[in-house]
Amino acid sequence: MGIIKTKDLVFEYIRRDEEGNVEGITKAVDEVSLNVEEGDFVAILGHNGSGKSTLAKHINAILYPTEGTVWVDGMDTTDENKLWEIRQEAGMVFQNPDNQIIGQVVEEDVGFGPENLGVPTKEIWERVEESLKAVGMYEFRKYSPNKLSGGQKQRVSIAGVIAMHPKCIILDEPTAMLDPSGRREVIRAVRALNDVERITMILITHYMEEIIYANKVFVMDKGRVAMEGTPREIFSQVEKLKELRLDVPQVTLLAHELKKSGLNIPDGILTTQELVKALGL
Amino acid sequence: MLRDITLGQYYQTDSVIHRLDPRVKLVTTFFYIISLFIVDNWIGYLAAGLFLLAVIKLSKVPFKFMVRGMKSIVFLLLIAVVFNLFLTPGEPLVTIWKLRITKEGIRLAGFMAVRLVFLIMGSSVMTLTTTPNNLTDALEKLLKPLKFFKVPVHEIAMMMSIALRFIPILLEETDKIMKAQIARGADFESGNLIKKAKSLVPLLVPLFISAFRRANDLAMAMEARCYRGGEQRTKMKPLIYRKRDFLAYGTVVCYFAAAILAGKILW
Repeated sequence: MGIIKTKDLVFEYIRRDEEGNVEGITKAVDEVSLNVEEGDFVAILGHNGSGKSTLAKHINAILYPTEGTVWVDGMDTTDENKLWEIRQEAGMVFQNPDNQIIGQVVEEDVGFGPENLGVPTKEIWERVEESLKAVGMYEFRKYSPNKLSGGQKQRVSIAGVIAMHPKCIILDEPTAMLDPSGRREVIRAVRALNDVERITMILITHYMEEIIYANKVFVMDKGRVAMEGTPREIFSQVEKLKELRLDVPQVTLLAHELKKSGLNIPDGILTTQELVKALGL
Repeated sequence: MLRDITLGQYYQTDSVIHRLDPRVKLVTTFFYIISLFIVDNWIGYLAAGLFLLAVIKLSKVPFKFMVRGMKSIVFLLLIAVVFNLFLTPGEPLVTIWKLRITKEGIRLAGFMAVRLVFLIMGSSVMTLTTTPNNLTDALEKLLKPLKFFKVPVHEIAMMMSIALRFIPILLEETDKIMKAQIARGADFESGNLIKKAKSLVPLLVPLFISAFRRANDLAMAMEARCYRGGEQRTKMKPLIYRKRDFLAYGTVVCYFAAAILAGKILW
């Protein structure tokens, strides 16, 4: 069994009108079964309202399934005795960097998680140092988070999760509020942690460029898993992605159009270099 | 930039006073203020003044920063002095129309002025040499016994430090909303007081909504990082008394005894 596994996961929420009467039931997540192996870099892609964030919150035991089961490292998330262990093993990074930094100094924020776990003082300092170095924010340790850029703040948030020594990190649209350079910074940090520290990464996003580094992609639509495969497999189906209202990276789109008009190039081109090579230039 | 504002008035430098445990500074300020109100003769105030001067000297904070805090209380100071001057009964010295200045009045007004000035300066020394963060920590530690009476001390301290972190963020947000509303034709400047208060509604409503949303997000982020209250929580920067802190406590006790002795018992 993988580090994270869901089986027939269903999450419903009840819509109510102003008097509190039940208006209807919405299935935010519908019969999702997936399996993530340790060390994987998984991307979950989907349009707004596709249920991807709801799915993420199940892995950290913030939400509980209406039906079905979620296991984190073999622990059922509905098991109350395992709640803190699950949250420690599966850390979570949220969208808005300002709303998840608790400390008034960078190093204090990174120390917040270990403090909550009851780690001894000396070890907290070691963990803070090692996590800040892992995301390249060590020289900012004495700064106020308010003075950092969005990308830097998000890297601090990631350091705060790493300091808890998780096996898996779920990033819920960590780049949605950042500018392009901040987005690159964060993705670079995520890839490095996956490569070097072998931390399992689950990246939830709607930016297509960010998923090309993943080794497994799930595309969600209306609460269901609509597509599943490697980035190359996903990007070879340009028409289907368009149907799901998702943008395809420009290179992939260009290659697709060129192929349609008769050029002999393979499907699922991901980078400019690949296209250049395929065209034999 | 609004984000650059420093909260409180911490003055960054390295001095003995800065390095003292924040609990020592908090307790000292408390006892210093008490001593100011017990003492009621000039010898006592001389002792208080000398003590304050010595601490300011040790703190290496330029004197003008102490005076800066005084600006906000000039008005209060004036009222206190004037009332004491004219309304104290006793032996009249000067009489202008219906107002009488008495000997006791001058004495009391002088005491009141000195008391207020020392009080503000004394607490300024504390806030200038201690970060708000350290103060919250100290408060949490000092109030710990209140836990026995079911006072949520850890939670209060946590709330204070979160509030401190979010003040600059909410200030910036206020600024943003204000500009957005001005761009749509809102007018925050003209009109009388009531009209001005009414024009704040389109500013406050979005601000409150956003603050609640932030609070919700933050609570979720804290839970995701295993926050579960103060139980079994360790500290990254625990407060530990060192030798200099005990020395400081000793000095404060000596000062307090001397001031009371001089100001109350001997004269």
